[in-house]
Amino acid sequence: MALLEIEGVSKAFGSLKAVDNVSFEVQAGEIFGIAGPNGSGKSTLFNIITGIPFGPDRGRVRLDGQEIQGRSGNAIAKLGLSRTFQRETSFDGLTVFENALIGATYGGAVKATAEAELRAAEALDFIGIGRAEFGRLAGELSVFDRKCLMLASAIAMRPKILLLDEPASSLTKPEVETSIGLIRKIAAHGITIVLIEHVLTFLMSLSQHLMVLNNGQILARGVPQEVIADPRVVEAYLGSRRPDL
Amino acid sequence: MGASAEILFGGLFQGSLYAMMAVGLALVWTTIGVFNFSHGVFMMLGAYLAWQFVDIGLPLPVVLPLAVVAMAGIGWLLQASVVRPLIGRSNIVLVVVITTLAAASLIENGVLELWGPRSKQIPPLLDGNTTIGGVGVSMHQIAIIVITPVILVALWLFLNRTRLGLALRAVAQNEDASLLVGLNVTALYGLAFAIAAALAALAGIFLGGYRFMSPVMGADPLLKALIVVVFGGISSISGPIFAAYLIGFFEAASNYYFGLYWTPALLFAVLILTLMVRPEGMFVRSSRSLA
Repeated sequence: MALLEIEGVSKAFGSLKAVDNVSFEVQAGEIFGIAGPNGSGKSTLFNIITGIPFGPDRGRVRLDGQEIQGRSGNAIAKLGLSRTFQRETSFDGLTVFENALIGATYGGAVKATAEAELRAAEALDFIGIGRAEFGRLAGELSVFDRKCLMLASAIAMRPKILLLDEPASSLTKPEVETSIGLIRKIAAHGITIVLIEHVLTFLMSLSQHLMVLNNGQILARGVPQEVIADPRVVEAYLGSRRPDL
Repeated sequence: MGASAEILFGGLFQGSLYAMMAVGLALVWTTIGVFNFSHGVFMMLGAYLAWQFVDIGLPLPVVLPLAVVAMAGIGWLLQASVVRPLIGRSNIVLVVVITTLAAASLIENGVLELWGPRSKQIPPLLDGNTTIGGVGVSMHQIAIIVITPVILVALWLFLNRTRLGLALRAVAQNEDASLLVGLNVTALYGLAFAIAAALAALAGIFLGGYRFMSPVMGADPLLKALIVVVFGGISSISGPIFAAYLIGFFEAASNYYFGLYWTPALLFAVLILTLMVRPEGMFVRSSRSLA
């Protein structure tokens, strides 16, 4: 049984079909990539899976066999589904440690304060955020460090599956390389990853399976090398020639 | 010595009441992003509930927590009925001004119907008077001046040293991220309203032991709390506390030198000046924070 099953989900804003009858499965332990041009419905798809800020108009979302569509965002998070946003989204007025602690305490449902603190520290260590940074306000961090903090907060929740929305956006090339290493490390830790990115090189280096969306619909899916060779994908990205890798 | 002592005690007393009121307003604004115009009736209803409990023979040490807890529950209910259904609407700030004003009017008239128009008074926290620096001060006023900072410190400790406080501080900064880390945002909104109502009730009980109570007794403190949060900045907790005491001292000095007649006009001049010079408030950060 797949860890995440998406069955015929749709979301419309007025006459615009942002996500149109999309179905796919993500197996436990894999890194599943989702590509597509801007406005293809990638982030909307993440929104309707997580229920934040809205669920699907139609269709089913199952996590570990349990239907989650229609549940509140915080209830879905507690079932083991975590997400990061394209834009660095942290609690700017809280310290780095408090950001991770709140993930461990509420998302990870850890009752004991000492255990939650230990889990928060472990998550920050795992991502590579030094102890000297624990007391800094999240709002004072660089873009890259805030993206790392988002990952640490998500890891502190011990999720079954982590949805990453364009983790490489606004990063320098060395930072992108570090991010690739971090995502591999998280996956090796047993957390299933669904990754949105419109930079195909980033996705190709990480994904075991790749799905391309265009105009809210699935354009192609399968093994990454085959998907990017699909003429429909080439046309969606470039109009006429093969994506430059 | 007489003038400065009178201004000092008047400022500390008024500042204490305004701080209790303004912190509640700021807590609701910072977490939910709405201005609660029924905050004044929370104060009044808290005082009336306390009066009722005293009237049936309960001792004041029992009445205080009972009235405060009851008002926390009423605050929660009000949030659930006239604020929560509107969350997510683009015009929520304006709509909630109207719904909380309507709720305030209903509660005010309900209290008038239930308890009548005759003025009432709660027993003071401490009996007797004393003279400090040549100024006569009631022991009740001194008790309020001493107790209020203790309550505000307790609130700070709750926000900064407990799991629930951490959750409230988080939800005040980022609603979507709060949902993502498993926070029950709706329940936390209710909690913010409940704490605000409890603080307003305490302010009402304090005031009801000093002056006669009436169903409209919350209107003036709400107006003053509004001046305080505009002056200090509504998007934090510490800003309104500093501002409450400054406004309290300003009001006491104005009352002493210019009289009661001119004080409201001078306070509104402060309000207008603040809005013109620093509309975000004098002691505020750029982002919303329960600090």
